[in-house]
Amino acid sequence: MEATDLSQHISSRFNEDLEAVRANLLAMGGLVEEQLRKGLAALTDADSTLAGEVVRDDAKVNAMEVAIDRECLRILATRSPAAGDLRLVIAVIKAITDLERIGDEARKIANISLHLATLEQPSDRYREVRHLGRLVEHMLRSALDAFARMDVDAALHIAQLDRQVDEEYESIQRQCVTFMMEDPRQIRRMLDLSWAARSLERVGDHATNIGEYVVYLVRGQDIRHRNIAEVETHPGGSAKGGGTAR
Amino acid sequence: MKPRVRTVLALAGVLALGGVIGLITGRVALWLLAALLAYTALQLWKLHRLAEWLGKRNFSDPPSLGGVWDEIVTQVMRLNRRKRYHKQRFLAMLHEVRDSTEALPDGVVLLNARSEIVGLNRMASEMLGLHGRKDIGIRIDNLLRQPEFLGYLAGSDFTSPKVLQTSTAPETWLSLHVLPYGEGQRVLLIRNVTREVRLDAMRKDFVANASHELRSPLTVITGYLEALAGDEQVSEQYAAPIAEMRRQADRMAAIIGDLLVLSRLEAKEGEVDGEAVDIVAMLALLKKDALARSRRPANVTLTIESHSRLLGDEIELHSAFSNLLDNAIKYTPADGSVAMRWWADEAGAHFSVSDTGPGIPAEAIPRLTERFYRVDAGRSRASGGSGLGLAIVKHVLQRHGGRLEIASVEGRGSTFTCHFPQRRHAPPGAGSNTTH
Repeated sequence: MEATDLSQHISSRFNEDLEAVRANLLAMGGLVEEQLRKGLAALTDADSTLAGEVVRDDAKVNAMEVAIDRECLRILATRSPAAGDLRLVIAVIKAITDLERIGDEARKIANISLHLATLEQPSDRYREVRHLGRLVEHMLRSALDAFARMDVDAALHIAQLDRQVDEEYESIQRQCVTFMMEDPRQIRRMLDLSWAARSLERVGDHATNIGEYVVYLVRGQDIRHRNIAEVETHPGGSAKGGGTAR
Repeated sequence: MKPRVRTVLALAGVLALGGVIGLITGRVALWLLAALLAYTALQLWKLHRLAEWLGKRNFSDPPSLGGVWDEIVTQVMRLNRRKRYHKQRFLAMLHEVRDSTEALPDGVVLLNARSEIVGLNRMASEMLGLHGRKDIGIRIDNLLRQPEFLGYLAGSDFTSPKVLQTSTAPETWLSLHVLPYGEGQRVLLIRNVTREVRLDAMRKDFVANASHELRSPLTVITGYLEALAGDEQVSEQYAAPIAEMRRQADRMAAIIGDLLVLSRLEAKEGEVDGEAVDIVAMLALLKKDALARSRRPANVTLTIESHSRLLGDEIELHSAFSNLLDNAIKYTPADGSVAMRWWADEAGAHFSVSDTGPGIPAEAIPRLTERFYRVDAGRSRASGGSGLGLAIVKHVLQRHGGRLEIASVEGRGSTFTCHFPQRRHAPPGAGSNTTH
């Protein structure tokens, strides 16, 4: 794992800068994880106070994105990093965009729960959405953990989970349509629920992206739009834009 | 001693042999030189064998070289044995320490000055969802990313642990305590406090629910007592008992009211958000109310030394200040005096209430803010206090980052002072967003 080894720079300030950027990215990740967790709790517990907090704290996520972005640009401009260091900066720049979007989705879920909290709570507390939410939370956590540990295997595993997320999303959609046909008075609520599920599905996609950046960061290999099985069996296979080894 | 003699003897023997052959052949110098050369060559060869043997670092098969060389070999062997013995002892000790930390029911993570994980035990991995020794060298704040924890770790106040839920185990509550040691190193101690947190929540819920449930029957009782007190048909002999019952019912209502206030204060977590509260106006009103009472000390004064406002919750602050004033008025005799004072300095803002009452024994002062604590059983019950007033004051101050100071001399009076930190203090003129 060449990229984890940041200790070989002559300038220790440079090391510290890179470490700080990585730590800031993960701190932002922690905030986004919390936003997502709170958003889901607000939805399932019909807790409008919590939902309000999520909506309010989204500004913090945005502020962190801007700050980290600026820091990355500063490193690019003043240090001209190469190889693994360059990949780290690029991966961070990409990951914060995805994290910011996840933050937006969490805010959307909170907004939906503000609306749903005014309606009557169903007895199952949106069991399917809760399950999907837990799965997506797990994906996001794994993606950020993989970033912290530079763990390619864990990062590759995330993409597999995304398929499960897509399946569950499909099934929630079908269920919503069925409920709407059974009882037209439920259409409003089911539309909201379907939007929440849609947001969670998007979070899954963003978490998958972050996992892909980890693979890019560690192996210097671009696995976007590629078959997972292929990546796993031919790790050194031809890759678009890959091969930036030292 | 002995090997040295032997070496000298061996050298002498070789030289003698060379000398004898030289004498026989008539070339003494040449043979002496040849004997010396042979001897030196032999010693050099032995030296090289020794070096070779030492270089292999396998001390199990020592060469037999004779003379002083054997001595060196024995010494090296002995040193090596000793080193191995010490190494094993240290290793055994190290394993013991590691095994005993493994057996701890609490999680332990050792962190260096850069917050990187240096070591951790199994419980820590389990509770925090870490990957055991594979995570050594990774910064803890990269893996435990809760904003609350990051704030705690980056801060400098480690007097109390942080209780939070981790994303890996959403149903469990963990207490994370950072203990600094050495030069920037830290130990992170992790305990599972799910039971404590649940019990605490249950206790609070119980108190809140019980108080709430007691309130409605009490309302009915007070209602009927009121009706009875005003009823002309009730014979005169019941007037005193009914009056006493009404007084006790009022006291009970006060206790329940205070219990509800306390449980509401406890239910809110952390410090209150700041809203500039006009303390001067609040104190003026409190003084007016106090003067309107029938039973009060002769002098109730208010000294305003600062027009500072306080960032906090107006209702909570009012309840704290009025509780302190109530106490002072209750315990001060009719010819005594009660003085309120509001001032600010570089430490923050302060409010104090002094009375000339009976004072509080020194040993009772630390326990005053406990719920239902009585300095002496008769006194406060006679005056109808709930026993919760100071507990409320303490809670309100906690929620404002402040503290309560109690000074008292028995027989001469007491002073209760509320200290608020500078960050809660809004000097006059600064910030015009007052709520009034």
